[in-house]
Amino acid sequence: MKNKYKILLFMFALLIPPIIRNEYYVRIVNIFYMYSVVALSINLIVGFCGQLDMGRAAFMGLGAYCSAILTVKMGLPFIAAFLISGAFSGLIGAVLGFLCRKSAFDYLTLVTIGFNAICQIVFLNWIPVTGGVMGISRVPQPNIFGFHFDTNTRFYYLALFFLAASFIAMHRICNSRMGRAFEAIRDDSIAAEYSGINVQLYKILNFAIGSVFTGLTGALFVHYTQYASPFNYTLDESIYQLQMAILGGLGSLAGSLVGTFILVVLPEISRSFYEYRLLFVGILMVVMMLYFPNGLLGKEGVGERLIAVRLGMLGGKNSRKDSGG
Amino acid sequence: MFLQHLINGLSIGSVYALITIGYNMVYGILELLNFAHGDVYALGCFVVLGLVTAGIHPIIAILGGVVSGYILNILVERFAYRSVRFSGRVTPTISAVGVAYIMRNAILKIWGPETYPMKLGFRGTQLHLGGIVVGTLQIYIFIAAISFMVIISLFLKKTKIGQGIIAISQSIPTAALLGVPVNRTISIVYGIGGALGVIGGILFCAYYDTIFVGIGFALGTLKAWMAAIIGGVGSLKGAVIGAIMLGLIESMVAGYVSTLYKDALVWLILITFILIRPQGFFPSQIAEKI
Repeated sequence: MKNKYKILLFMFALLIPPIIRNEYYVRIVNIFYMYSVVALSINLIVGFCGQLDMGRAAFMGLGAYCSAILTVKMGLPFIAAFLISGAFSGLIGAVLGFLCRKSAFDYLTLVTIGFNAICQIVFLNWIPVTGGVMGISRVPQPNIFGFHFDTNTRFYYLALFFLAASFIAMHRICNSRMGRAFEAIRDDSIAAEYSGINVQLYKILNFAIGSVFTGLTGALFVHYTQYASPFNYTLDESIYQLQMAILGGLGSLAGSLVGTFILVVLPEISRSFYEYRLLFVGILMVVMMLYFPNGLLGKEGVGERLIAVRLGMLGGKNSRKDSGG
Repeated sequence: MFLQHLINGLSIGSVYALITIGYNMVYGILELLNFAHGDVYALGCFVVLGLVTAGIHPIIAILGGVVSGYILNILVERFAYRSVRFSGRVTPTISAVGVAYIMRNAILKIWGPETYPMKLGFRGTQLHLGGIVVGTLQIYIFIAAISFMVIISLFLKKTKIGQGIIAISQSIPTAALLGVPVNRTISIVYGIGGALGVIGGILFCAYYDTIFVGIGFALGTLKAWMAAIIGGVGSLKGAVIGAIMLGLIESMVAGYVSTLYKDALVWLILITFILIRPQGFFPSQIAEKI
């Protein structure tokens, strides 16, 4: 039943470019699709495994620079550079995860923030390789076996395919033994250890898998915008991406898409909103944490509460129980 | 040259120390990553800037800034942290990040991203000791950091409120059972943290003669956090020593290795430090899950 809706949604998504026919809107949807994968990878790390990672933009940057350097300076074809940068980002993620495998919560957050800062400084100052402040321009557009994804509409199908494949992969990971192990680590790592889960190994795996997806997205992004800039991978960017996953609901894959949609589309609708977007994100973070810590579509999130109110389930049962007891 | 780097490191370290004392108090007692610490005191420092440019005497302006930092942090605790105090680690941390962004964007909307000169009037003279330059201001800052450390540790040891704070840091339910007013005491801790932060921030601005929005997060929260981790979470002595070590590391790296990669190398040293000795040099007496 549920799969039927998903297939219908996918069919509808295939028809979006012919329906809206506006290059600018298609571009926004493309950006939304790519950020969705980043939000999914954040959800895998923060939402499913409970590791508060605040340096996701660094991995996007690693993927982007890796792919840009491979195609521009070494002349590799797009598909090879794309896959290598995913693997490279995943490898760095595995190393970072290995180093942090025993670290407690705060230390991991600090290490990821520090890693983000280090990456940004390297992007800015390693001029022979990264181009410094100028970045790397004229990155070729995606080209798979002779087919050029050179217009927004053509790229749309590549981005849609990438999002669908990532979503299915994430969905399968989260519903496998591995996904349940992640959730066990998030809920209580000591209890998980006693249940025979290799906590350190799964933490490393979690980081590595998340980083593969973030790196791939970074690579795809840089081939779409055709320009790698060191200012795109800051801590602010990481926090904004984190908010995409939080808004939709940590631990809910579909929620990540909804949260990303809101935070990608709103700044495009009005220019004044774009100026205030970080203030808005700040207020949103506090309000969400106070009232809906599980986001829009998470467990006991806004969505479930609305349904409960409509069915008259919220409050009614509890208050009767209270008066009875 | 080495002695000059040493002196520079000591003086920038003592500026960090004042910021870290306030940060480490909150961090050690509630184990909450106070992401908003820097941005709250930055707002306090901008209040001082506003008062000074309005023509008010610097001493009164600083007092105004300290009071606003105290009130601001109490308000933040009341509205953004109190109700999420017991809901895990992720929720309060994200709430604190949200507060930090609200504060920073409030500063950006009122004062903009410009760097302002901070004219407070207490410009020290420079002493030349056999080729080494020591500013008197640097000596004052160092003395201020040490004396605040002594005052705060006396406050914690000798007063009733201080004992209540220590009780809360060990166990909140037990403290409540023993009659410690938990919410009021935690409010006071946050208030003191904010007030000390403003003092540290003002000295920071005096040291560099300028003020800009970056003193909050990049130069405030992150440095305080690094110093707290080097020194040991929740220990006052650790805060001061960690901050001075951080200052020394920074000036030595900048002096001998590379100024371009200074921040990256400092981060690398810190990450290595976390991996080797996560409890810091002076861990607090309460056991913590590492």
